[in-house]
Amino acid sequence: MNRTLLIARREYAAYAKTVGFWLSLLAFPLFAVLGGAVPILIKSSEPVRAVAVVEEGPQASGLAAAIRDALGRDAERQQEIQRRASEAAEKATGMPAGGPGAAQGAFARLSGPRLRIVETPAAIAAAAPGEARDDAVRRYLTDETPKADRLDAVVFLTRDAEGPAARVWTARATDDTVEDFVRDALRSANRKAVFEGAGIDPAVVENAEKFRPTISVFSPQSASGGEVGLRDKLPTLIGMAGGFLLWSLIITGASILLNSVMEEKSNKILEVLLSSASPMEILTGKVLGVALLTITVLIGWGGIGAAGLVSFAPETAGMIGDILLTGGMLGWFAAFMIGGYLMYAVLFAAIGAFCETPRDAQTLMGPIMMILVIPIMTMSMAMTTPDASAVKILSWVPFFTPFLMMARLPSDPPMLELVGAMAGMFAFALFMVWLSGRAFRAGALSDVKLSWKSFAGAIRGGGN
Amino acid sequence: MTAALTLEGVNKRYGGFHAVRDLSFQVGKGSICGFLGPNGAGKTSTIRMILGLQPATSGRIEILGADDGRRVRDRIGFLPEERGLYKKMTPVDAIAFFGALKGVPLGEGRRRAREMLEQQGLGGASRKKMKELSKGMAQKVQLIAAVVHRPEFVILDEPFSGLDPVNQQGLEQMIRGLAADGATVLFSTHVMQHAERLCDKVVLLARGRKAFEGTVDEAKATSRRFLELEGAIDPAQAAGLPGVSGVEVISEHDGVRVLKAALGPGGRGQEALKAAFLGGLDVRRFDLREPSLHDAFIDLTGDNPDQDQSVKPAGQEAAR
Repeated sequence: MNRTLLIARREYAAYAKTVGFWLSLLAFPLFAVLGGAVPILIKSSEPVRAVAVVEEGPQASGLAAAIRDALGRDAERQQEIQRRASEAAEKATGMPAGGPGAAQGAFARLSGPRLRIVETPAAIAAAAPGEARDDAVRRYLTDETPKADRLDAVVFLTRDAEGPAARVWTARATDDTVEDFVRDALRSANRKAVFEGAGIDPAVVENAEKFRPTISVFSPQSASGGEVGLRDKLPTLIGMAGGFLLWSLIITGASILLNSVMEEKSNKILEVLLSSASPMEILTGKVLGVALLTITVLIGWGGIGAAGLVSFAPETAGMIGDILLTGGMLGWFAAFMIGGYLMYAVLFAAIGAFCETPRDAQTLMGPIMMILVIPIMTMSMAMTTPDASAVKILSWVPFFTPFLMMARLPSDPPMLELVGAMAGMFAFALFMVWLSGRAFRAGALSDVKLSWKSFAGAIRGGGN
Repeated sequence: MTAALTLEGVNKRYGGFHAVRDLSFQVGKGSICGFLGPNGAGKTSTIRMILGLQPATSGRIEILGADDGRRVRDRIGFLPEERGLYKKMTPVDAIAFFGALKGVPLGEGRRRAREMLEQQGLGGASRKKMKELSKGMAQKVQLIAAVVHRPEFVILDEPFSGLDPVNQQGLEQMIRGLAADGATVLFSTHVMQHAERLCDKVVLLARGRKAFEGTVDEAKATSRRFLELEGAIDPAQAAGLPGVSGVEVISEHDGVRVLKAALGPGGRGQEALKAAFLGGLDVRRFDLREPSLHDAFIDLTGDNPDQDQSVKPAGQEAAR
């Protein structure tokens, strides 16, 4: 086995044999699932608040009924959302209609009622308005009252010169769910009263309140040449996800390399390696070893993602597969991955050759990481306005090309631009390999403190 | 003896700093050569040039018939000054890996590693991770890793540093073993005792310049021997003894002096002592002091080998 492959093999094994590597590989998809599931879990575990509604005086008459009506309308609206979500889920997963799918269940939990109106306790209803009634309310909102009878909020409805108003007592000062709901309900009641006062039929007002427009989106760029569907939006989403994935993989790989070289430098292993192999063999071996690690991560993430999609949304999985394979997106992704990884990996390795601790590397890594934020900020712009001048210009900068071009890919940029930027990226990557090779050789045997000046000096001198 | 290593007029500059100056010497095949000098004298820079890790600014280096160490790297074994191996690897895997880099198939490397570890009494540690080994054990493992490919030329940079006396002795045995197997050994050190015990030849280096090249005995012969005398002796009388070239009073108490009588070239201590007794000098104690390599180094270079000569010019690496 030649030296480069030996070094690559050792580099790969050093990480792949650790439990930590496989745990971190699984952590990303796990956290992605958790990221989506946690809001559902939080929402679904939220208690339905028990609320008592009290009309204060005859002028408030009808407001409690308005609150109840609003609660009813809210329940209807949630059911409609649930139905649509269920339809969308059926469409994506291909499961038979009417089946209690996971998405439907999740939406049901998410869109359940947030509060229920309970009978007002006699102690509150009978208490004289003012301090005595407030004292009674306090008792029902705290643990002075047994849990079964305790309330989450008490709403006192009234009507002043401007219209309906309310005083909301709530068990938790930071919980504004009841406050928001009551505000919306009273606003709606007021609107209805105003319209009715103006002589408009209450049924008309009610219908107007219930109305929800149906909006369809059409575009000549859609696959059907007409209505825009999920299939038409997927390439943009995949491009964007691809850009972020590339950024994440490349920076992770390059950082592994930086740490690995730094460790060998601090342990004085680099000098022994240099007596056994050329700097370029060492650099190539290490870059290759970490590249294999990165590919392992990619295959792991891709496999988990594909398995999840095929299991829960086979139709969407089919569409994604179609876009990746027939649109050539997978090929472009691979090319951007190779060029981008090469550029950053050799640069990070060269910096690592000058450093013995992460602190040493901060001088150079700080500005580099700041520059790396630019494509992250620009990628979302590339999705919505791929023709923006800033996006176009930045995608020609070799350091940003892999991420921005990947995000722009679904908008079909001119082939000349695509090929030109890619050629520039590969030419720059080769230049970086040459440059970093010189810096690596100098850094590996150097004791100088890393700075931009010493780094540039090392590149000029190449370790001679 | 055929030369395994030849340096001719080698210079190394780091910017304005002249680390190695006009260095020339030879190391014969199968010999053990000590490359001696204080820290910062230019030993590590020279070793790196010999290995081809750094180019010489000027001059010629030939090792195992090649004008560039990189061309014969598989025939050279190297142990650097500051040592380290992959902490999470086992000794067997680490040795096999470095052997493989030098062309030994991994399987064969593992077999040799187990055998050599066993020979060094480290058989029990072969399955442990490097980080679990003591410093002495790790150093032995690293030396095995440097020679597992059975190199013709072994370069050891300060191999004894940081080792306790027992491990130093073990390492000396290993070095003798390498030479006995036919390898040429060049090792650098600033501790002269090791060189005195091990070397067929020494090259003394101070401030980047060669101060001496020859055998240990030749080096010692360049230094003066002393006859230490104690008693009520007049320094003038001591100076008149045959072979004595100069006298220095070390101490004096109640008329009793300790004198250091330097013997000139060809001067014999026994004759001087015989003359002192025959002349009735009040000699109460005497000691004939042969010069050590350490003394010779001081005489030859004017420097103390234990003194650090490292110079770190701004923006440049230290010449070690």
